Order: sequence, then structure tokens, then C-alpha cells
Amino acid sequence: MASNVYTSPALSFELLAKCSTTRARASILTLPHGPVQLPIFMPVATQASLKGITPEQLEDTGCRLCLNNTYHLGLKPGQEILDAVGGAHKLQGWNHNLLTDSGGFQMVSLLKLATITEEGVRFLSPHDGSPMLLTPEHSMSLQNSIGSDIMMQLDDVLVTTSPDKARMREAMERSVRWLDRCIAAHKNPDRQNLFCIIQGGLDLEMRRECCEEMVARDTPGIAIGGLSGGEAKADYCRVVETCTALLPDLKPRYVMGIGYPEDLIVSVALGADMFDCVWPTRTARFGNAVTKHGVLNIRNAKYASDFGPIEPGCGCMCCREGEDGMGITRAFIHHNASKETVAAHLLTIHNVWYQLQLMRDIRQAVIEDRFPALIRQFFAQLYEDKSQYPEWAVDALKRVNVDLTV
Amino acid sequence: MSDPSLENSANMSGRKIFELITSAAADGSAARLGKLSLPGRKAIETPNFIAATSRGSLPHLTPDNFKRHTAVSGVYMALEEFIEKKEPPVQHTPVGEISRRLHSFTALPSSTVSILGPRRCAAVATPFGNTPKTITVFTSTGFRNVTIPEFTSWIQSLQPDIVLPLADLPNPGATPSSKKLARMVDRTEVWLGEFFDRMALSKSSDSLGSLVFAPVLPVDYPIQWDYLRHLSEDVIDKLSGLAMYDTNNLPDLVNYPSLAPLPKLSMDTPKTPQEVLRQISLGIDICTLMFVNSTSDAGVAMTFSFPPPSVDKVQPLGINMWSPEHNAAVAPLVEGCQCYTCTKHHRAYLRHLLNAKEMLGWNLLQIHNHHVVSEFFAGIRETLGKGEAVFEDAVNRFAATYEPLFPEGTGERPRARGYHFKSEAGSEKINKPAWTDLDKGAEVEIMSLVEDSTPSSESHVVIPAGAITVEAAAAALSLN
Repeated sequence: MASNVYTSPALSFELLAKCSTTRARASILTLPHGPVQLPIFMPVATQASLKGITPEQLEDTGCRLCLNNTYHLGLKPGQEILDAVGGAHKLQGWNHNLLTDSGGFQMVSLLKLATITEEGVRFLSPHDGSPMLLTPEHSMSLQNSIGSDIMMQLDDVLVTTSPDKARMREAMERSVRWLDRCIAAHKNPDRQNLFCIIQGGLDLEMRRECCEEMVARDTPGIAIGGLSGGEAKADYCRVVETCTALLPDLKPRYVMGIGYPEDLIVSVALGADMFDCVWPTRTARFGNAVTKHGVLNIRNAKYASDFGPIEPGCGCMCCREGEDGMGITRAFIHHNASKETVAAHLLTIHNVWYQLQLMRDIRQAVIEDRFPALIRQFFAQLYEDKSQYPEWAVDALKRVNVDLTV
Repeated sequence: MSDPSLENSANMSGRKIFELITSAAADGSAARLGKLSLPGRKAIETPNFIAATSRGSLPHLTPDNFKRHTAVSGVYMALEEFIEKKEPPVQHTPVGEISRRLHSFTALPSSTVSILGPRRCAAVATPFGNTPKTITVFTSTGFRNVTIPEFTSWIQSLQPDIVLPLADLPNPGATPSSKKLARMVDRTEVWLGEFFDRMALSKSSDSLGSLVFAPVLPVDYPIQWDYLRHLSEDVIDKLSGLAMYDTNNLPDLVNYPSLAPLPKLSMDTPKTPQEVLRQISLGIDICTLMFVNSTSDAGVAMTFSFPPPSVDKVQPLGINMWSPEHNAAVAPLVEGCQCYTCTKHHRAYLRHLLNAKEMLGWNLLQIHNHHVVSEFFAGIRETLGKGEAVFEDAVNRFAATYEPLFPEGTGERPRARGYHFKSEAGSEKINKPAWTDLDKGAEVEIMSLVEDSTPSSESHVVIPAGAITVEAAAAALSLN
């Protein structure tokens, strides 16, 4: 076996290139439904549908791995129907890879309603107020029924900003115990990958401890969890770089809930490979277009007579002209934004393409070992002046040998 | 028809745009086969339909899906959906030499025919009606007047393939007095004349013209016979077709042979395939269809075909995809259907999408339902090609084979966006409110998330609903 390849029953990970300056990596992750190129952004098809666009349109953006949400699929259509249909791939007509969360993320936001015990999490359905119990065994059972290519362990999630250190330690240690229960309950290790999730809030020592425990359990991939919950970006970066330093080279590293373009490029520089977020698709429904020059709210009156594409030079189906594109203008999106769903669908297609293209560009730059130059170009396009660069990004990048100030 | 002016009646720049292939009746009062060929567009074989758009889009379908997954050959657009701003942006759309502004602005595929009229198909009633020189329209920001000069200049700027000029139409549901009806006819004739004058006056040599389909009002023959005579004698060479606002007037047209060769567009939008067949039997060439959109919104997948299949039992026109019976059905909406939805997806997914209120559900239904309707019209043309008698027989069998109405979709509709609906005092909301104050609510039945029976899972426990607050529920919703 080559020294740059890791294989496990349902996955193989081939490290293709490492940036000579930062910790960025380029790799190929081969999952049961085909290979995906890392680093990767994974759009979120919460209820087995990427808001308003067809699986075919999603495929056209180049997406080969997207998320479904276990909690939502457990409610609708429910486990019984998932079993009868033959899993979520079959349900949504998606022949590429799926990743599911554990259903536990809802805890962070539903904490007021949730009671967490060693057994699991009990919380109330926001749909009808019905109580639901989620144990590691339940979560595995549901994710086995969904048939996702990557499943996530149930973890005890706390908001990272929680000041309760004892509770944070309890959550971290419980997450490790729950991983053991998840591994024991996982019925299809030959065709579904179970990833562990590193917890420990913003306490770097606790994160280190958790890394050690989790890595020892040798899951085929590793996630860094509990972030994107309102913590300071500088703290976020510290956690990511602390964890990636301790993780094995030959396993994919997934930072959960990250999706702003700046966060993506910095996190890749800090050594992470996989990301997901609802932001690009949700913000599309608010009339926002993600571009390399920042987010444009197309509902603004200044776009009413703007007959340019959503983003000049963009290769998405909306922005491309001619027979194989739609030639959509900002003016047309403005005309229909918040009036016809079509405007939301178009921006969803564009935004997903933008995120995926950013990751493709990053990957190519890492392979050609010119990633630092891409980072500089990225920030230069986003901000008019270096003085506007966010401090957290400048600092974090400095620690991986890219100094944006010079 | 030896009069040369008659032969020109459906011409554009010397080219005949509408060609009659067969017609059972020379006077145009029966079903007929034809072909509408517009420069630069895919020819429309008739009888056929055009789809009703909303703000320039076929509801739920992005232009790529429209092009890839439907065979829709033409669309109807309403001017009132483009003019809410004082200086409507659409008129500044940059265009090349052969592209038309409305097409470019709405990203309509180049093969598709655009038809522009003043108002939406199911127009919102206006509070004051029209005036001698203006009609009232309803834009996304409210009611406004449109004058003939304004209308003409917008048409010249937007360059639709086909224009339906202003008509003094009654409010929907209104039954005007005969005096008013006479006035409607008079005004429409005057407006049409002014429209033609202004079009001729400011016509520049390089502008792409729009073909004119003159309105025939929903008014009895004794009141509009002279207007019809005016159309057939005085302005016939300027007309490319007729827009019928009441298809019951079609038999009246036999008195005007020069109108017979014109393509007839139904703006009397049918509500069922049976009504489509009736309109075609009366001589309609192209139907403007609203019911495809509304059937998709209702969550109903169409299942009818023409000629009808031989079956023992009366068949429904569609399936209610909201029904839980489809929960685990890994079967196409219609067995053998070749549409994208049926070849790539199944009933269980459709049912899930509707139940989860995912927008994709309506998107996939639009693709399927437009496919069914395209096939329905292809069947009509094929049957008509075998002769009038074969067609009429099939029409009768269709009436006997299918239920008269679409099944009702039992679920909720997509959120009705306010700009083209006007609620009336006391009318009920289409959809239930998404959230209720559970503190005030009754007890609710509880179910566990997972159905297997681990010792801890509690099924069907009843607890007081007050334990969940609206704020928390809303917070959970905002998660995704």
C-alpha cells in the first residue's frame, strides 16, 4: 500500500498534495457512491432536497457529496418509509454521496427544550411539541436506514461560548462514550462510514485530550464539532489549528457548519478538508448572491436595471450565456426576488456553484503549490484595502506562514 | 377566397405565419389542424397550448428546466407584471439584432414564442374599471392606469412575438349591463385603431414588429357584430390572429369568412381537458392554459391522455400526491410516462417533498403536468389527422372515460405571494398558519422520533402542549 493512501472497508483516502507553506492539503476521498475531490464544500439538502433545485441541477454544479439532516428525515418521511423505499439515495434519486449529521446539532438551538442525560437527548419537536428521544443507538439506526455514505456520531454539543467548564468537560467525555456506543450500534460498517466528532469547546487543552481519545478509536474520518455557534473567529481558528495538528495525515478532516468563503479558505490553510453550511442556499432565498467581490443583495433597487450576469466570468448555469447557459441577468432576479420561487432557485444554483468553484480553485492551487498566492488574490478581490482585512484571518494565516499585510 | 387582402390576413413580411393543414369546416367553426410559424421560433403545430407565466417565469421552473424538461412551445406574459416601476427596467434590456427584449429579459429559450397581453390570465378585479382612454391594471405595487400611447411604446420596446392589444374587458365575475357592453365594444374598436395608428407612426425600419391578435370580447353577437365586421373588413390586413375572450363567440365568426384563416387563441382559459376539447371543437387553435399551474400547486399529478384508453371504470384526471398512500410507492407518477419526473423520481419522493413543503415538489409536478398536457395535445393532433369523425368520437369517449374535474389536492399550496392575489374581506386563508401558540393550544399527541423499541423510547404519550414556546419553535425552524 502506498504511503499516501488510507483505506478502510467503506472508504479510501489518497493524499495528493500538501501545500509547502500552509497546512492545506489536496486529496481524493473515495466513498461508496464514488470519488470526491477534497477540499470540499458540501451543500445541505436538509429534507432530501436542495431547496427548490433538482438533483440533476445539483449534479450540474459538480456536487458529488451533499448533506441530508437525520433529524428532519427522521420526522419526514420517517424511518419506516426510508426502510421501505430503500434509503435516502433512492428516495431523492441521488446516485452520488450523502453525509448525514447525527441529529444532535438541534440540541444547541433547542437546548431550552432538551434534557441531556447519559442515555441520550430528549427534546420536543418544533413541529407539534411531541417529545423525541435521541440516543446514540437511535441515531445510528436512523442513519443506517438513511444509508448515508458518511454518518456522524451522536455527540453532546454545547455552545462553544458556554462558560460552564465542568459541563463542557462532561460533554466532551460523554461524546467519547457515545462514540463507543455508536461504533457498537453501527450495523453497516462495510458500506457506511462513521466519523467521530471532536468536542471540547474553546478550551484547547480539552480539545487535545478529545483528539487523542477520538483518534484512538480509529474511525475512517474525523470531524471537528461544536463550532460555528457564535464564538469569536480567532477562537475558532485556534481550535481548528490545534486539532488538525494532532490528527493523522491520511484521514479526512471535516469542520462542521462552516460556509462563509473567508472561513473556508482560512480553514483549508489550517489543514481542514471538508465543510458544510446552509448559508449559501439560505441566503439565496433572501435574494443574496455570493460573488468573489462579496455578497450582493439583488433585491437592492440598484440592480433593477443591471443587465449584467450575477457574477461576470462565473461558469454557473445562470451566468453562462449561449445555448448551454441561461444568460440570467441581475435585473431578472431583482424582478422576481421574493415574488417568484424561480429567483430563489436561480440564486441557489449560482451560490452552490460559487462555493464549489472556490474549493476547486483552492484544490488546484494546492496541487500546483501556489495556494498562498490564491489566498492573497481572494482577499484582494473581497476587500478594497488591506486595512479592511479581518484581523482574525490575518492572524490565523500568519501562523501558517502567509502574511497578508506585506 | 380570391380577395388578395384575405390571403394577406395572416402574413408577416410576405410570409404566411399560419398555415391550415386540415379543416373540417371551411368557415373555421370546427376542429382543425394547423401550424403557426414565427420567424426564429420553433413552429407550433396546432391545436396546441401556451403556458401562463407569472412575472415572466413559468411558476417554479428555472429556464434550464423549462428548456430541458418541457415541450412548451409558447408562453403568455402580462404587461402589468413588468411596469410597477415608473421607468420599467425591462424596456432597457440590451438586445442583439435578432433577439427581442422580453425574451432577453426573461431568459426565455429562443425557440419559444412569447405572447404579451395587458393583464394576467386570471386578472385581479380593479376597483374602478377602465376609462375612455385608459385601462386599469394591477402591478406588484398597486393599481395604475395604462394609456394607449404608453401601451404602444412598451410593446415597441418589449418586442413580444405576438401582442394582444388593449381591450375593454369587464371585471372577472361581473355581469355588465348591455349599455356597458356596447361601450366596451366601442372603446375596444377605438383603442385598436389608435394602437395601429401609433404603431405605424413610430415604426422604425430596424425594429422587430409584433404580430397582432385582435381581441374578440366576451359579448353577445348583436352587440359586437359591427366590431367583428370592422375586424374582418377594415383592419384585416393588420391582423395575424384573434384572441377569443369567450370561446362561445366562435360560432358567430362564420359570418366573416375573412377571419376564418386567422389562428384563434383562447384567452377564455379552460379549467379541464374536457373544456379544452370543447374549445378545439369550436375552432380554437391555441389554448392559454392556467390549470396546469394550479393543478401542480394543488399537489395533483395529471394522469389523462388522448385518445382515452379503453377502461371499464371512470378514471380520475389526476392523482392527489398528498395522499399518504404514496408514502413508500417507488413507482412513477404515471406508468410509462417519459417525463423527467417519472423517469428519475417516484411517487414516494413527491409525497415526501409535498409533505415536507419542499419547493422541489411543485417544480417536479410542473415538469410532469406540462409533459402530460403536451402529450394530450399531440394526441389531439394525431386523432384530428385521422378525420373529424374519429376526433369527435374520441372526444365523446374522453368525456365518458374521465371524471369531469381534477381531484382536489388535500394538502397546502405553495405560499401565495400577495402581488397577484387580492384577498377579500372575510375570505379564509389558503394555508393553516405554520405556528400556533401551543400555550393556548389543547393537548397534543406525542410520538417518538425513532420507531424501534429501545427501552427508553416513549410512544404516544400525551403531555400538555404548553411545554414548548413559540419562540423556541421559531428558533428551531430558523435552523434550516
